[in-house]
Amino acid sequence: MGLRTGIRTGLIAAIVTIFLILIGVHMLMGRLLQSWFYVPAHWPGVWLMVVLLGLWAGSRAVSQMKARSWGNALLAGASAGFVQGALVGAALYLLASITQAGVDLRAWLTQMSKESIGALTLGFAPLPAAGFIGGVLLVSAMAGAAWREWRLRVHAARLARGERIVSLRERLLGIPAVAQVSSNPLSRRVLMGVFMVLLLIAPFFLSQYWNYNLGTVGIYVILGLGLNIVVGMAGLLDLGYVAFFAVGAYTMALLTAPQPHHIQMSFWLALPIGVLLAAIAGILLGIPVLRMRGDYLAIVTLGFGEIIRILSKSDVLTGFTGGPRGVRNVGHPVLFGKDVGNEFYFFYFILIGVILAIIITRRLEHSRVGRAWRAMREDEKVAQAMGIYTLKYKLMAFAMGAALAGFSGAIFASRNSFTGPEDFVLLVSINVLALVIVGGMGSIPGVILGAFVLKGLPEILRELEDYRVLVFGALLVVMMIVRPQGLWPASRPQLERPRPGEEALEEAPAELVEGEVGS
Amino acid sequence: MNVAAESSKWRTARVKERKVSLGLLLRLGIGLLVLAFFAYRFYGVLARQAYGAETWARLAISGLIIGSVYAVIALGYTLVYGILFMINFAHGEVMMIGAFAGYFVLEAFAASGFSARQPVLAILITFLAGMTVSMLVGISLERIAYRPLRGAPRLVPLISAIGASIFLQNAAQLMFGSMRRTYSNPPALERNVGWVLDVAGKPVSITYTGVLTFAFSVVLMIGLYLLVQRTRLGRAMRAVAENKEAAALMGVDVDRVIANTFAISGVLAGAAGVMWGLHNGIIYHYVGFIPGLKAFTAAVLGGIGNIPGAMLGGIVLGIAESLAPAVLDIPFQLKDVLAFAVLVLVLIFRPTGILGEVLAEEKV
Repeated sequence: MGLRTGIRTGLIAAIVTIFLILIGVHMLMGRLLQSWFYVPAHWPGVWLMVVLLGLWAGSRAVSQMKARSWGNALLAGASAGFVQGALVGAALYLLASITQAGVDLRAWLTQMSKESIGALTLGFAPLPAAGFIGGVLLVSAMAGAAWREWRLRVHAARLARGERIVSLRERLLGIPAVAQVSSNPLSRRVLMGVFMVLLLIAPFFLSQYWNYNLGTVGIYVILGLGLNIVVGMAGLLDLGYVAFFAVGAYTMALLTAPQPHHIQMSFWLALPIGVLLAAIAGILLGIPVLRMRGDYLAIVTLGFGEIIRILSKSDVLTGFTGGPRGVRNVGHPVLFGKDVGNEFYFFYFILIGVILAIIITRRLEHSRVGRAWRAMREDEKVAQAMGIYTLKYKLMAFAMGAALAGFSGAIFASRNSFTGPEDFVLLVSINVLALVIVGGMGSIPGVILGAFVLKGLPEILRELEDYRVLVFGALLVVMMIVRPQGLWPASRPQLERPRPGEEALEEAPAELVEGEVGS
Repeated sequence: MNVAAESSKWRTARVKERKVSLGLLLRLGIGLLVLAFFAYRFYGVLARQAYGAETWARLAISGLIIGSVYAVIALGYTLVYGILFMINFAHGEVMMIGAFAGYFVLEAFAASGFSARQPVLAILITFLAGMTVSMLVGISLERIAYRPLRGAPRLVPLISAIGASIFLQNAAQLMFGSMRRTYSNPPALERNVGWVLDVAGKPVSITYTGVLTFAFSVVLMIGLYLLVQRTRLGRAMRAVAENKEAAALMGVDVDRVIANTFAISGVLAGAAGVMWGLHNGIIYHYVGFIPGLKAFTAAVLGGIGNIPGAMLGGIVLGIAESLAPAVLDIPFQLKDVLAFAVLVLVLIFRPTGILGEVLAEEKV
């Protein structure tokens, strides 16, 4: 029993370990430890990762077993560690001996530089190095197994005593504690006030670089709020959201830049035009596609996003959009005869945009339109039966979302003084979608939190640069499995309050119960 | 009673009619515009006699070949969609990983001289390697990213699939780098070498890699068709597609059938990846994305859930994409736009595809 579980877990752990080594995560850990804790060399971080992976394998093996006994646990840990150690050791032996033979592995596996392998072999010859890493994994897996067995026993003992147990997992997942703290209206207002004041004075204290980044986060908040209307409120998965961002940005660029059209309109005039054109684009795109099933809609909008990018890049439109080189010298806003086009002022424009977007979203959410969207999202057929003309409301959602995207696109282009097709890659849509989902679909504070987590944190953790998108992808999967409602879920209006003495929640559908977490 | 039912029937019919006619008008308008544009551009091309017969033949052949690759990928989409009713967004990435697996095997064979001595065996092993690796990726994908989400609302697995696609793409980029790699074909199967036909006095070559690609695709399609129609597993797959609960009650292990479906679609994707590498030559971490989208388009074009439909859709899309830039007289770099346009037009005018969807009624 323990043996089979152990071998299976060891196999999985070995694959994960080898994968992480191949994409160079061990070196990343080394660098992170170096830069955060002033560790003099990078090998402690590298080996920390190895040991952690061993501990994980052992602990996982034990947690998958059904029969509880110390012997079984150690057997599972040892077998998991042995399999993991043997396979990782074999892989290291292969890599190290090829490198030793003078072949540069980087031609095939870009992360496998001499230093990268050297950090794992610690300067030993391939065979002893393989043995060493295998041994370390075996020992740490056994330690992990023992630890997990001990924890499970403590847990069982506490259960037997009738204590209520809040697992680490539950505690971690209970992050909306923040939301619960702020559910008190007074403390919420005070917190909001402090936050606003901090934001208002922040640009005076931050460097140009951080002002710029904060502005970027703000732009993504607006984008997120816009997509939140489409995906979160109306339940339409739009993967080509970047198209509307592009419409806003190109409108601003073409109307205000000296090249290629020489219109050189004022920023303040171009901004509403950009918003308007984006909204119109939303409606025009929406009319043909909004009758489609949910997942078809996703693919078609994705296609549209790519079409806009490819078209703006193509030779056909070079005369009109500037082609692959983009548009330079996009106009800056001028206020009272003064050019206010630097990061400092833009921060405030973006902040105003964010506040406007929040107000619009909130007003919409609690209006007839918002209720219609919610009904549509929950069940389109029922909504239709209740007399909601779904196409109209879908178009409204698309237009609103597109207008917000156009607004942020226009500001984006003006702030960078440049825009080009490469600003509108699919990844932008994915980023925005990811932040909406990670934050919590349909939740305004969730979107803001998501933007800070996904756009702000990577700026702080610059070392993670190369791994950011990878983590995005993994995060999307993990969020869907572990916490599909997001970090800060939307609070749903409680449909039916349980009367005292009635355990109504027990019988409520799972969705509703999940919704309760944040309310 | 009877009269009341009759009159209510009549009323719903009338309401429905009005709604349809509005949409119909819109569709008709778009359709006429597209047709007019098509006719206008095509007439221009024909009037100028811009291309000779040999160019048309060359384009059609290359379209047929690339279309057969799309068809093989599309089969994977269609299988999974038919059973789980979800777009396996990461399918293109599964293909990309198969292409990389084949690349490494072939590279090793080329370096050791094995592929010069035993080209047939080398190609066979390359295909096997690509198919096996893709199969494993497909199975783990289902196990990790999709199985825990079974029964969740429709958007949830789709977002998970998008996440998996991004993850695989970037994992490949981090592992293998973002440079473009060239498949080292065996000398007997050089790219751009092949038989030469004579069309209107001009040479049109049919490359060996193209023939291999096309032939192998056809073999795979027939094999899959037989598998689904004739074997026990195929029967179980059809049962699960029809109704999971009923299939489970009849003793079908639903989880295993779904895992097998992903394995099969992975095998097909791996084969397509290796074919892509052998025929087109260049692979990189992003290579699966656009073909994946196009293959999905092909699956929708043929009627999703429909196996012959996916084959037909793939080949039609390949030929359309290859001929359209010439027919419409637009730059070749816009051919990706055309594929998307085809998708949008199909979904507007015939969302059930050419041969019709094969999906269980209740799930739609």
